Amino acid sequence: MGPLPRTLELFYDVLSPYSWLCFEVLCRYQKIWNVKLQLQPTLIAGIMKDSGNKPPALLPRKGQYLKSELSLLKHHFQVPIKFPKDFFSVIIDKGEENRMHVGNQVESRAARNQRARKEGLSRLREATGSEQGSLSAMRFLTAVNMETPEMLEKVSRELWMRVWSRDEDISEPQSILAAAEKAGLSAEQAQGLLGMISTAEVKKRLMEVTEVACKYGAFGLPVTVAHVDGQTHMLFGSDRMELLAYLLGEKWMGPVPPALNARL
Amino acid sequence: MGPLPRTLELFYDVLSPYSWLCFEVLCRYQKIWNVKLQLQPTLIAGIMKDSGNKPPALLPRKGQYLKSELSLLKHHFQVPIKFPKDFFSVIIDKGSLSAMRFLTAVNMETPEMLEKVSRELWMRVWSRAAEKAGLSAEQAQGLLGMISTAEVKKRLMEVTEVACKYGAFGLPVTVAHVDGQTHMLFGSDRMELLAYLLGEKWMGPVPPALNARL
Repeated sequence: MGPLPRTLELFYDVLSPYSWLCFEVLCRYQKIWNVKLQLQPTLIAGIMKDSGNKPPALLPRKGQYLKSELSLLKHHFQVPIKFPKDFFSVIIDKGEENRMHVGNQVESRAARNQRARKEGLSRLREATGSEQGSLSAMRFLTAVNMETPEMLEKVSRELWMRVWSRDEDISEPQSILAAAEKAGLSAEQAQGLLGMISTAEVKKRLMEVTEVACKYGAFGLPVTVAHVDGQTHMLFGSDRMELLAYLLGEKWMGPVPPALNARL
Repeated sequence: MGPLPRTLELFYDVLSPYSWLCFEVLCRYQKIWNVKLQLQPTLIAGIMKDSGNKPPALLPRKGQYLKSELSLLKHHFQVPIKFPKDFFSVIIDKGSLSAMRFLTAVNMETPEMLEKVSRELWMRVWSRAAEKAGLSAEQAQGLLGMISTAEVKKRLMEVTEVACKYGAFGLPVTVAHVDGQTHMLFGSDRMELLAYLLGEKWMGPVPPALNARL
């Protein structure tokens, strides 16, 4: 028997498009490299809060860059990313300050969300501006990871397809159920898992995983933690996969490796 | 005769270690790919001011990450980066205005020396070893004299503005002119994507020299 597979932990949030790119690359290479991929649903809002960082898109020029870069990366990575229609007007024109302050008073989250819906903002921007954006979705994935981990990859992908390919909601229960069923869970299983997202156990688990990412030094997502030869390497971003290959002593064949090389 | 080489503009500042990584990769590939590399000395402080961005190292966790990541990338890219002991005083306080004006002057007077002199400045700021780049003492003095002229100051400002117009919020920025389109790529980690856009082969950050075109 050959050497033991090296563990790769992927900390991700479905709100993050770069997490999706990283996820797809690692899912492809888990069949090729001698690694064991551990998916870790994490809350990006928690990472931001703990590190003092801000979502990059809040800086106008970064937001513009992300949009243009992702339209190139989607082809290079072959991941069907599609920017929500009104991303710009929301992120660039309005900005975080306007989100929080109406007149001279800080508006409540409920009032802000109501105004957001009235103004027809994309769900994504609503999500970025409020803590609730991916909370239900990531709690759901946490529950999946606890109960039916073999489904975690597919359900994660379906949630990304909703929010980052079809500009669909991921915060409502029906939205999450739809993604779960599309991934192959029965309606019964999906409902059961949905029921778990308000339990103390699931809330706690998501918080703990987010804390672990923070202890690894995360200031954003995706974060890949590679355990290699007794050392631990934390890599940030979807653009460190070639460096990861180098650290693992594996071959890098680009973001879309030929399937023929897949180990049986 | 084959197709015309595609122009790649590299906007960089020697204060930026990722600019150095990007620079070395492009210098290697300019001999392999059908491209023409135009080095553009730029002032990162000007980019930050204009875009409203801040140096990443000012966020503690980003600073820690940069440090650990650069110690891995130096091996992968084979660039002898060493974090300065007094990072904040060198990078944040002292800045690079004179250095980038000097490189602007080199680009105006002796552009064929720009690659070597840039590398020499990076070696001083971001590495242990500094060698002589090959400018005669006389040339160096002359260029030093130029850095306070209106012409050089203006040129550096103009180049920095061009980078800003391309949408820069940091450095390095690589602008590729390909098939009538212009692509702006940020960071030293977009070189494989660049290869994809150019229809060229990516052989990692340290391509074999054997593939160099004669």
